[in-house]
Amino acid sequence: MTGAWQRLGQVYLVAVIIFALGPAAVVVFDSVNSATSFPSPFEQFTLRWYAAVAGRPELFEAARNSLVVALLSASVASVIAFLAAYALSRSTFPGRHAVATALIGPLFIPEIVLGLAILQIAGAADLTLNLATLTAAHTLFVMPFALRLTLSGFSRFDFNLEWAARSLGASQGIALRRVVLPLVRPNLIAGFTLAAIMSFVNLPVSMFLTTPTTATLPVSVFAYMESRIDPMIAAVASLVLFVAVIATFFLDRVLKIRIIG
Amino acid sequence: MSAVEADVALVSSPQGVSRKPFIQRPGVLTTLFLMPAALLLVVFLIIPLSVTVWMSLSPNVLVKFQGHTFANYTYVFGRSYYIQVLWRTVRIAAETSSIAFLLGYPAALALRYVPPALSNAFVLAVTLPVLCGPLVVILGWMILLSRGGPLGSLVGDLQLLGSEWGIVVAQVHFLLPFVVLSLVNVLHGIPDELLDAARSLGAGPVRRFLRIILPLSLPGILSALIIGFSLATGAFVAPHYLGGPGDLTLATLISQFVMATFNGQLAATVSILLLAVMSAAIFTLTIVLSWKMRG
Repeated sequence: MTGAWQRLGQVYLVAVIIFALGPAAVVVFDSVNSATSFPSPFEQFTLRWYAAVAGRPELFEAARNSLVVALLSASVASVIAFLAAYALSRSTFPGRHAVATALIGPLFIPEIVLGLAILQIAGAADLTLNLATLTAAHTLFVMPFALRLTLSGFSRFDFNLEWAARSLGASQGIALRRVVLPLVRPNLIAGFTLAAIMSFVNLPVSMFLTTPTTATLPVSVFAYMESRIDPMIAAVASLVLFVAVIATFFLDRVLKIRIIG
Repeated sequence: MSAVEADVALVSSPQGVSRKPFIQRPGVLTTLFLMPAALLLVVFLIIPLSVTVWMSLSPNVLVKFQGHTFANYTYVFGRSYYIQVLWRTVRIAAETSSIAFLLGYPAALALRYVPPALSNAFVLAVTLPVLCGPLVVILGWMILLSRGGPLGSLVGDLQLLGSEWGIVVAQVHFLLPFVVLSLVNVLHGIPDELLDAARSLGAGPVRRFLRIILPLSLPGILSALIIGFSLATGAFVAPHYLGGPGDLTLATLISQFVMATFNGQLAATVSILLLAVMSAAIFTLTIVLSWKMRG
């Protein structure tokens, strides 16, 4: 590649980066701007919108629900994904790829269809909607994310290591715990983190499955936004963004794992 | 089970010890370990979706009939209002996935040639909207696109928020990481030697692109378009919050049937329709592009 093409490519990539970060940047901008409505030009730096969030207990309640559902569904999904990824990677039975594709499948089902299907089975089985139903739906929704990252960890794992441990007398359980698990741990942690984040920020799956007492943070914020948008909401969104940025850097810098692709 | 099986596999393997996994057929352990995932899929996806199919065949307050028939489907297809919703969904998905592809392809190509620091920053930046979720992104687009907002005033009197173009802009933004990263894998697999050989034989940059890079990246183009189109068809958040009341898509129509008119049967019908549209599009794309790959 010649220098001119290379420079053109760099300029283009920077332009796309600006496009990608634009909406998040404007949210942060308006969350620290003292203007009471937006869009408006920058007036003065203020943290009063963040202080206003503190005066809304229902948002904390919703954030707590989101956190509980995210941690529970990501934990269950990670264990299921680890077992499945291990089984799929160590054996070469025919139809292995079909099984892997089927397990990744929920990723291709629209989130709103997943939410509706769980709502309708809950209705048919006479179940009440609570955090358990919501966690079940989220576990299904986030499992493929955990599975993809765990599978990519296993694709670089040399199964001879496990075999060596077994031939030296380690039981299946010991080999799994002392040899396999430590070597794929970064991918497992990455899968858990991604699963938890995807659950925490999700709206369409949760939408039909929450009641006023089990509303998650996205559900209650979007309910608020139906009537109005104000800088306080921008402050809440900035806090969520802050969590997402930390998670991104954790995945990229600490675990050195790319989440999509 | 596995020790015996592994011994057999090890002995029968031509090189003795291979780097390949050593179990050749699903053993007890493999089956056992796949069970939780299979159970999750059956209990929380396949059975619920079967209930949705059953619901879509059931009578309701709007469409009255005896037993279970396709009457809900004929009802939906018989009304031009719903046909318009269907057509709008496909049109927006086609627009957004092709724009995302046209924006993403040069970016994925450029990533081959830039310093690692820039390419890493790029990947982090485009994936951030996926990780921070609709709450941040939709609010951001609401501010950017509103009349008098930074972009709203840039395009003058054009009203972006509450229009189909508002949906398209936000959707392209969301699809970009999926499109770019499925192209990157393929584009980075093209060996430099091929391009060097073409150059030494006198092929200019345009010809190198058309004769080498483009054909070899067809599998990536296929997966980028499939991921883009299916995500765009099923998207709920952007059409609901950035589109106008007249910009209903299949996904927002489902939510309207559930939340506003409380008609679970028609919501189920539209859900199955949405899945059918997606499958048809994925099928067509696969056929067309794999035919192109062979030809």
